Amino acid sequence: MGASDSIELLGGSRGPCSDTMQGAPQYKRDRCVTGVHGLDEILRGGIPYGSTLLVGGTCGSGKTTLALEFVVNGAMMGEATAYFAATEPSVKLLENVRQFSFFDMDMVDKGLLNVFDMGVAYSWLGLTKATFTMDDVNALVKAITDIVNTIGVTRLVIDSVTTLCYKIPNDQLIRDFLFTLGKTLATQGCTSMLVAEITSAGAKANWSSFGVEEAILDGIMVLGDIDRMGHLLRYLQVIKMRGTDHSRAKYALELTPNGVMLTPMLKWGVDL
Amino acid sequence: MTEVTLNSSLQVRCGASNAFLVTASLIEPLITEFEMHGVYISASRGAVELINTLNEIGVATDNVHFIDCVSSALLGGTESSFPNISFIDSPIMLESILLRTLYNLNTMPGESKFVILDSVNALAIYNEDRMLAEYLHTFINTFRARDVLSAIMNVPDQTPPGVLANLDLYCTDLIDRGQVVIS
Repeated sequence: MGASDSIELLGGSRGPCSDTMQGAPQYKRDRCVTGVHGLDEILRGGIPYGSTLLVGGTCGSGKTTLALEFVVNGAMMGEATAYFAATEPSVKLLENVRQFSFFDMDMVDKGLLNVFDMGVAYSWLGLTKATFTMDDVNALVKAITDIVNTIGVTRLVIDSVTTLCYKIPNDQLIRDFLFTLGKTLATQGCTSMLVAEITSAGAKANWSSFGVEEAILDGIMVLGDIDRMGHLLRYLQVIKMRGTDHSRAKYALELTPNGVMLTPMLKWGVDL
Repeated sequence: MTEVTLNSSLQVRCGASNAFLVTASLIEPLITEFEMHGVYISASRGAVELINTLNEIGVATDNVHFIDCVSSALLGGTESSFPNISFIDSPIMLESILLRTLYNLNTMPGESKFVILDSVNALAIYNEDRMLAEYLHTFINTFRARDVLSAIMNVPDQTPPGVLANLDLYCTDLIDRGQVVIS
């Protein structure tokens, strides 16, 4: 299902982030349609508008592709989007994303998809220290907020928030940073994905790197691998999403030239 | 075959010795007579060998995308010049097979499409019976819901009984091309 199909299906009369269930008996929050194959169905229409999500996953599980597709689909629908790249240079990121059919360089040229190097942002702000203070964290939140305000960003990704949090010395500061960032972005009407690197995604694993991100944010999506007789099968699971009913099942994830595709994982194949 | 119903699911039974002939006689009218495009999931043999053999007997394969679940297990097996082949790491990656099939069906032209699964017996080598039965249930319903004709090949006397019972239950039609061996 493409982004445009999603909008039509949901009867959105107010643009991409629209009222999804007109005429439904109970109140439903406006949704930000991701356009990612299968994800909007899992979320019963999309991400509640203005939410901040943690997208945690192991290496190679598809986090970056999912996050890129989320912003690119927004840009395709005419939204201004921002992608803060902290783990790889923006040039390399754009080069990697060119292989996918959902990407069009025109979106960058037209200013709908804005990719920022976090390293460059740190330099601008004079944040060249190994460890951030509360003032540094506030300056960073302000810089991100200013960009969101100036461009009118409605979809934002920070990839990854883990590398950023490594610079923040304690859990309380990380909690404050994420809470302030999430609150500010929600106030601006911006739906955000914070990508987090985790080392394992099993039942006993944390959903985040520091164990504090998951309590603060509105939603948690986990991406990982299932080892099926020596072969790694990617999966996605929505653990938490405030403001909407959603599936909590595991979904097999395949990276195709069209981007991410999801299908329910076989029940007898989850714990082989 | 004189007519096809797009949302139907065919169980195609064949014998151990006539499997290829049954495959060819199934795919040929779909391509030439009904001018359909489709996906062929090849778990029994490599797609390159299959394409070459089909072409040798005059069956054009340009409108078919092959999902090869065999060749990745052979060193050098995935070196192919055919653009219409996708390789899956292993027949145990059942969800990947399904998603790759959907992807290819979504990107190919034409209104009338088919998917051929060759074969249940090959998948049964790698997959546990319960998982295979669950997969076939999902497979059949996925393509019926999308108005895609699905054909599932099997050699019944070598198919796990529980899996075969599920096929009997969920497939809408049965084509039996089994061979009687007189000893």
